[in-house]
Amino acid sequence: MAAVIEAHGLTKNYGRRRGVSDLTLLVPAGEVFGFLGPNGAGKTTTIRTLLGFLRPTSGRAALFGSDVSGHSAALHRRIGYLPGELALYEKMTGRDLLTYFAHLRGSHDLTYATTIAERLGADLSRPIRTLSKGNKQKIGLIQAFMQRPDLLILDEPTSGLDPLVQQEFYRLVADAKAAGQTVFLSSHILSEVDHVADRVGIIRAGRLIVVEAIHTLKSKTVRRLDIQLAAAVPESAFAGMPGVRDLHVTDANVRCTVEGPLDGLIKALAAHTVITLTSHEPDLEEVFLAYYTGEPDHAAA
Amino acid sequence: MLLRNVFLKTLRDERRSLLWWAVGIAVLAGYTLVFYPFMRDNSDLTKLMQSLPPALRSIYGQADFSTGSGYLGSALFNLMVPLLFLVYGITQGASAIAGEEDRRTLDLLLANPVSRSHVVLAKFAALCAALVGLGVVLWLTLWLGGTLVQLNVPVGNLAAATLSGVLLGGAAAALALAVGAATGNRGISLGIAATVALAGYLVRTLAASIPALADWQKLSPFYYYNNHQPLINGLSLGNAAVFLVAAALCVAAAVALFTRRDLAV
Repeated sequence: MAAVIEAHGLTKNYGRRRGVSDLTLLVPAGEVFGFLGPNGAGKTTTIRTLLGFLRPTSGRAALFGSDVSGHSAALHRRIGYLPGELALYEKMTGRDLLTYFAHLRGSHDLTYATTIAERLGADLSRPIRTLSKGNKQKIGLIQAFMQRPDLLILDEPTSGLDPLVQQEFYRLVADAKAAGQTVFLSSHILSEVDHVADRVGIIRAGRLIVVEAIHTLKSKTVRRLDIQLAAAVPESAFAGMPGVRDLHVTDANVRCTVEGPLDGLIKALAAHTVITLTSHEPDLEEVFLAYYTGEPDHAAA
Repeated sequence: MLLRNVFLKTLRDERRSLLWWAVGIAVLAGYTLVFYPFMRDNSDLTKLMQSLPPALRSIYGQADFSTGSGYLGSALFNLMVPLLFLVYGITQGASAIAGEEDRRTLDLLLANPVSRSHVVLAKFAALCAALVGLGVVLWLTLWLGGTLVQLNVPVGNLAAATLSGVLLGGAAAALALAVGAATGNRGISLGIAATVALAGYLVRTLAASIPALADWQKLSPFYYYNNHQPLINGLSLGNAAVFLVAAALCVAAAVALFTRRDLAV
């Protein structure tokens, strides 16, 4: 498949602020790519360089095979973009803003925009300044999706959305994928992209550390579990199980860290009466650590 | 449909503000005209004005209130008209790119298939259209109001004087646009354009009484604004060309510098 996004040794330095170093990445057509990293890792810098808003210090990037530092206006016809720090025209209503952007894209048709607005529960009739952050985010999403662009570049798309709207957003991404669109979305939380992404790239301190299929990454994922049993158990009941670490058993309470599949632990737990089981989502640092301990070769690189 | 393109949308954003500017300019011009008959018939006042030292007289223009052109020149075109067109031009020019960047909406706009040069040109064109619109309001008010008070200034000369103000404002707007497009900083843009306008005004005004400034005043935009006395002599194509060339150079610089730099987040 042809690469929709292509970056070779892409580097962007500015002043004291951290940029992006030597980023090489290929995103094929039709893929949903999750771009993960803590805040300030260089996600937004990468995205804004891809869109031609920043000039690369070195290296090159291309979208649909055309270099981004050339005439990006023509490329933008095929791209829907949601900025990470979304700012809209506050005095306009949502409908006016969408009408304006549709015209700039050479279309008068707001049918799909209206459909998405209904799905997300966005109010298009009020001036944007009167909307909450989440409702502004919905307008931002609609303008990105409304022309069914070949490529969607979404910087922190779920920020400010309440959980139900987030679910609808994931369905929008799934629809886009089904329609053959390519989606590049960034987040600082793994669980926000792992439903929808085919592959994930993790960037830290301006460097792309790993690009993995989502199921591979998840198999290396570390979870912290907190289990309350009905009766006290000896620590030996769970000791030495594969993937189980940092085991602490106090009376009927079991706390541990599990890397990879939970299956073994769950089957061992089934022999007891489980009152509660709480799984703490790993943060990205833990994912990195798990990745490195799992594959020492990469850690050295 | 005012949402069709960047040019029309920029005018749409300004529609309320423009309406008030138009009302303000019409009221100012009308108010000035109302006093003309009293001034014309009061020869003592003209004598008083002409007895002022040259430095003070240069602030009030020709200070001949016995003719319509002398009166309008002093009361309106010497200070108020250039001030209004400069304020409108400079504030709008500074906001055109830098304002949108300050409000962080530029990313979203440029994510659409519009080039940076298109945005600069469309915004400047909208600004020029607004300035010309305000000029037409001023001209019509002076023309229609002038017939009521027997101003006796040819309508062509009124148009020439108004156009000089529009050109002065437009050139200053182009400078503010260029600085804003190059730096992304609205404050710097306002500061530089306002400083150039103020320095130009001071040099032009003081040149009347300080011979050493006589050559320097040719660097002042105000020299090209009123050295030909358009209320008396009509339009000077040479002066108009100076403003047009200066504006064109600024806009070209705005495009060149804006398309080559990183956009602020």
